[in-house]
Amino acid sequence: MKKLVLLLFVLSLLTVGFAADYGGDFVYVMGADAVTLLPANMTDNPSEAVCRHIFDGLVEFTPEMEMVPALAKSWDVSEDGTVYTFHLQEGIKFHDGAPFNAQAVKRYFDYTIENPVKRQSLYKPFIKEITVVDDYTVDFELQFSFSGFLSTLAHGAGLIVSPEMIDKYGDDVAMLGRNPSGTGPFEFVEWKRGEIIKVKANEDYFGGRPYLDSIDFKVVPEDITRVMQVQSGDADLTMRVPPIMKKKLEGDKNVELKVEPSLRVIFLGFNHLKEPYDDVRVRKAINYAINKEQLCNVILRGLGTPSDSPLSPLTMGYDETGGYPYNPEKAKELLKEAGQENLEMTLSTPRGRYLQDYESVIAIQSMLSEVGIDVDVQPMEWGQYVGSLFTEPENAEYEVFLLGWAPSTGSADWVLRPLFTSDNFAPNGNNNTFYKNERVDELVEKAARATTSEKADEYYAEAQEIIVDDAAWVFLHNLSQLVMYNSDVEGVDILPIEIVLVKDAWFKQ
Amino acid sequence: MVVIHLNNFLVRRLLLIIPIFLGVSIIIFLMMRMIPGDPARILAGENATAQDIQNITDRFGLDQPLVVQYFKFMSGIFTNSVRSLRSELPVFEEVMPRYMKTVQLSSLSILIATVLGIGLGIIAAVKRNTWVDNLVMGFSLFGVSMPVFWLGFLLIILFSVTLHWLPAGGVGSFRHIILPAITLGMATSAIIARMTRASMLQVMNQDFIRTAEAFGINIRKIIMKYTLKNALIPVITIVGLQFGYMLGGAVLTESVFGWPGLGRLIVDSIFSRDYTVVQVGIMVIAMTFVFVNLLVDITYAFLDPRIRRS
Repeated sequence: MKKLVLLLFVLSLLTVGFAADYGGDFVYVMGADAVTLLPANMTDNPSEAVCRHIFDGLVEFTPEMEMVPALAKSWDVSEDGTVYTFHLQEGIKFHDGAPFNAQAVKRYFDYTIENPVKRQSLYKPFIKEITVVDDYTVDFELQFSFSGFLSTLAHGAGLIVSPEMIDKYGDDVAMLGRNPSGTGPFEFVEWKRGEIIKVKANEDYFGGRPYLDSIDFKVVPEDITRVMQVQSGDADLTMRVPPIMKKKLEGDKNVELKVEPSLRVIFLGFNHLKEPYDDVRVRKAINYAINKEQLCNVILRGLGTPSDSPLSPLTMGYDETGGYPYNPEKAKELLKEAGQENLEMTLSTPRGRYLQDYESVIAIQSMLSEVGIDVDVQPMEWGQYVGSLFTEPENAEYEVFLLGWAPSTGSADWVLRPLFTSDNFAPNGNNNTFYKNERVDELVEKAARATTSEKADEYYAEAQEIIVDDAAWVFLHNLSQLVMYNSDVEGVDILPIEIVLVKDAWFKQ
Repeated sequence: MVVIHLNNFLVRRLLLIIPIFLGVSIIIFLMMRMIPGDPARILAGENATAQDIQNITDRFGLDQPLVVQYFKFMSGIFTNSVRSLRSELPVFEEVMPRYMKTVQLSSLSILIATVLGIGLGIIAAVKRNTWVDNLVMGFSLFGVSMPVFWLGFLLIILFSVTLHWLPAGGVGSFRHIILPAITLGMATSAIIARMTRASMLQVMNQDFIRTAEAFGINIRKIIMKYTLKNALIPVITIVGLQFGYMLGGAVLTESVFGWPGLGRLIVDSIFSRDYTVVQVGIMVIAMTFVFVNLLVDITYAFLDPRIRRS
């Protein structure tokens, strides 16, 4: 009898505790509106943040960058690494009522490959054919074995859209992007452009109904206004909080501040075709001459950690190389050896694109002047900047430039291949430093074709060691994200791919 | 007779719109293309491949000769087939809702500014050279010098963060429009107040007012009927011009309060080199400016019979 009473007591507690968590309308403020809610066509963060609440992919990233099953229960990879077989969750419906099955998976990825959507090249070069084995089993046959394939499926573009919507609006990507229907925890309600996107809880979500009743994604361009909205209780969460406000906000009991790492590395790229940046001693000297610790602590106010690789520590395949600790004496020595004691350098930078980008460059200017390098800083508007940075090698006028890179698939391949292999020289690829090392080319290729991730990581580690030893870049820092939310909220997920999710969040009662 | 004159005047003014429209369209088209930066590369995002960029270039014909691009754009305007490069939606679907939001905000702002400005201007003129006049002119100096975003943030801190009376930004209910409308209207109300005061003083010194005073007409009537009506013409010019500027240039207020207006859309679109949205947005603003000016001229004609007959 006693046991029964106890059991009842515990049960009632459970139900009370549980019931209290459900409900609430969440206001999520973003700095810019989404551009499209068609996963295959999006290239911006706000779109992806919204889409990840409405859609699911076959696999997904956790905040620790682990790959976990989502719409796929499990998967097998063939011996040679060219066929991925996915076993799908059963009994799921899209928000528009269409059943989720192998046909739906095939329909979506075929659509992405066959149409000139903005993420076409994420899949087209790799996927040879998608075959429906039965209703809940689907095969992806690849052109060649590719160890990073699962990561490309976990990418935002791998979020699966209802086949009924593709039938209806497939001819017009803009319309498809305005009528999102997925399997996700939240269902699309309405979108007033430049203003608000409303979604509501999907009662039948296969992972269980979300705690929140609805989410309003509101657009407020001004950083400080967003912060004030969360402070005043008009909004529940925002990101890109200006670091200068960090101290003040830490004293506010109504808000919670979270600093989480991202995959974004900030670096100075050298034009390796221009003298004297073709000399490894000069490149090393500049690496040694910059005090990264100080940049992170003072300029970034703790929102970054010194970097020692082209990959951030959370990118799959990262290897700790040790990098270039601050050593101005060594820098001077190397410059002397290279005969560059009075170097004049042009350093271009965007302004306001990345956290404290221009401010960092100004600090770097004074650090470099201490080892005898005279830096001319050239800040530029973003559109003009990327235009000037991606031209034919013979037209590349720039010497040293600041840029950031975050692999949206979370994999090493997405950093090393576009930025360091010689097949990817600008303007056709993203290698605008014109770095070329045959061993790196070979290692990146080998890692991509590796059939186990352990093997791939070995190749990636060697490639990173070489790139750092070549001082291909100045490795500056890994950026962190500063997210701020209402202290009544629990369960916010901050993904290193610079996406903040509240699909599992709830209000404390 | 008057009607015929007015009609002639109207027809002439309306016909003038055509060359203005074409001129603006060509200038803004060329200006957008003179800004360095490739829209396809910006739109493709930072991890884009060469193929992604080529796809966008092809889809929007960004590598075609400028003349071809211009004629495609102009004919597209009339068939509503021009699309935003960024969202790929028909460009009017992007621009018009944002334009309506700007019209809403500007209309309320100009209303607040006019009522407040004329009211204060009259008081200052009547009580000229007293402490009341000084106070009003002091306020007006403050209003003109206060940068929009400083004022905006101060209002947010006071009314939203501290008092919790009004929302700190966004749109939705009438409560959302109050702070941005005040912020946007403040400088204009100050300008209108100064203009009203100066104009009133000028009229008050004229003979017919003295005559009216000598006749012993009620002072309130003299001010409100004889003086104000005559003093209003330059004020209306300012109101019209300011309204035009608000419609095109409320970018700062829109940013501070997250008001989804046209100014903000155009600035964002310039940064992402969304050519078509910028072109259409600017053309809409230019046309509005032309119409507001036309309206001001017509209003003159009603207020001042001399203009009507000339």
